[in-house]
Amino acid sequence: MSAGPWLRRILLVLLAALFAYSLSDVGLLETDRLQRGVQNTGRFLRGLFPPAWDVLPDVARAAGETVQIAFIGTALGLVLALPLSVAASPAITGRGVALTIRLLLAAVRTVPALLWAIIFVVAVGLGPAAGSLGVAMYSLGYMGKLFSEAFDGVDPEVLEAVRGTGLGRAQLARYALLPEAANQLLSQLLFMFEYNVRSSSIMGFVGAGGIGYYLLGYVQTLRYQELTTALLVTLVVVLAIDRLSAVVRAAFLSGRV
Amino acid sequence: MSVHLEPATESLPPAPHAEPAVLARGVWFGYHPRRPVLRGVDVTARAGEVTVLLGASGSGKTTLLKLIKGLLATGQGEITVLGRSSRAGGRPSALDARVAYIPQQLGLVRNLSVLDNVLVGAMPRIGTARSLLHWFPRDEIVAAHAVLQSLGIGNKAAERVLSLSGGERQRVAIARALLQRARVIVADEFLSQLDPVTTDEIMTVMHQIAAQGVALVMTTHELDVVTRHADRVVVLRDGLKALDCPAAEVTSDSLARAIRQ
Repeated sequence: MSAGPWLRRILLVLLAALFAYSLSDVGLLETDRLQRGVQNTGRFLRGLFPPAWDVLPDVARAAGETVQIAFIGTALGLVLALPLSVAASPAITGRGVALTIRLLLAAVRTVPALLWAIIFVVAVGLGPAAGSLGVAMYSLGYMGKLFSEAFDGVDPEVLEAVRGTGLGRAQLARYALLPEAANQLLSQLLFMFEYNVRSSSIMGFVGAGGIGYYLLGYVQTLRYQELTTALLVTLVVVLAIDRLSAVVRAAFLSGRV
Repeated sequence: MSVHLEPATESLPPAPHAEPAVLARGVWFGYHPRRPVLRGVDVTARAGEVTVLLGASGSGKTTLLKLIKGLLATGQGEITVLGRSSRAGGRPSALDARVAYIPQQLGLVRNLSVLDNVLVGAMPRIGTARSLLHWFPRDEIVAAHAVLQSLGIGNKAAERVLSLSGGERQRVAIARALLQRARVIVADEFLSQLDPVTTDEIMTVMHQIAAQGVALVMTTHELDVVTRHADRVVVLRDGLKALDCPAAEVTSDSLARAIRQ
């Protein structure tokens, strides 16, 4: 028998051992704790109903702010990511510059959105401005990566043929790279917006605006019925944004826009 | 149908006996140092003529076209295109608008309109700032419409390329080359996805363009294209030139033998 199957078995055993060790290490094998957890969850779930509708106006206003944070953050992220990802395309700027910008984008990506929000709370103070800037930086990192990968996927034959007409790099980006990748860019932009609506809903945890402020406050003060209202509003907003994205995506891809 | 040419090419008289538009001498090239694709090939293409490169897959046709356009750097030997010569490592035609390149899949930008694809050919004349702002001079737009009209797709100018048929896309690629004011058109297998009737139509157009002073160098697998439309035929076999003669002197059978021998 070759070494392949044995190696696979050893790897599986090691993986199982690591899983069991980690399970124990994080406390998920403590039966007392798990029993308490089940009881607490039952109490928590019972406490969620009925929703407290009197907080609806406040919560709805905060949900609107959450969408605004996501919208502004995504738009600012797009404005920053688009030129940088074009510059991160070896077809436009050459390997050296492209690699440097990709490293820069990777560095931006290593910082989570919530941490960016904390940094901007320190910089510009509490409120949705900090949340918007945090979302923008996070979006820059991710859209920069996704866009440059979309550009990498553009048919080199198209770039060769268009470049061969004597175009400069900026013209090549404007009339070949961007339009050829447009469908993917739009799809990724909408995905980013959907994702940002979700991530903006916890920006309030660190004082960066939106519905997160209420979500955290209701949990901390054990106001579970109010929490249900906030969660339901968040759910409705997220579903509505997903649906809107799907409509925009379909309209664009079918050539109606 | 008569094809409208841009002024720079229109003013050129057909000059079949003038200095060749493309002159390749002793060209060696390999993607891997020990496996040369071309082994000392000589090819001449003149203005006013349709020169067809034939050969089995892997015989070096596409490589030779890419060398002529400057998409690959010359290995050994010398390639002179429109008077600009390139030796080892050079590729002077890469950004030369006078040398148009139509790849097998045509190299059109599918999400752009037909008109914008054609205007790409005029952009080096328009300048960066104006073209980035999509602010094209009126005469270039008129010229683009005239070229499309003469190629029979004037009514498609506003449509996106992705909604066109194969034959219409072919015409857009030709229109772009014409707006480029190309004096050499290098076309790689660009008839491969067309039915025989459309192939005939496109080749009639290409012949009209060549007759107005343009050198057309193209590859194909269609032997009929050579006997019906070519002025000169070059057969490549295993990186060597197996045949080079006026198209009038060959038949489909003799070509098939030259390719396979």
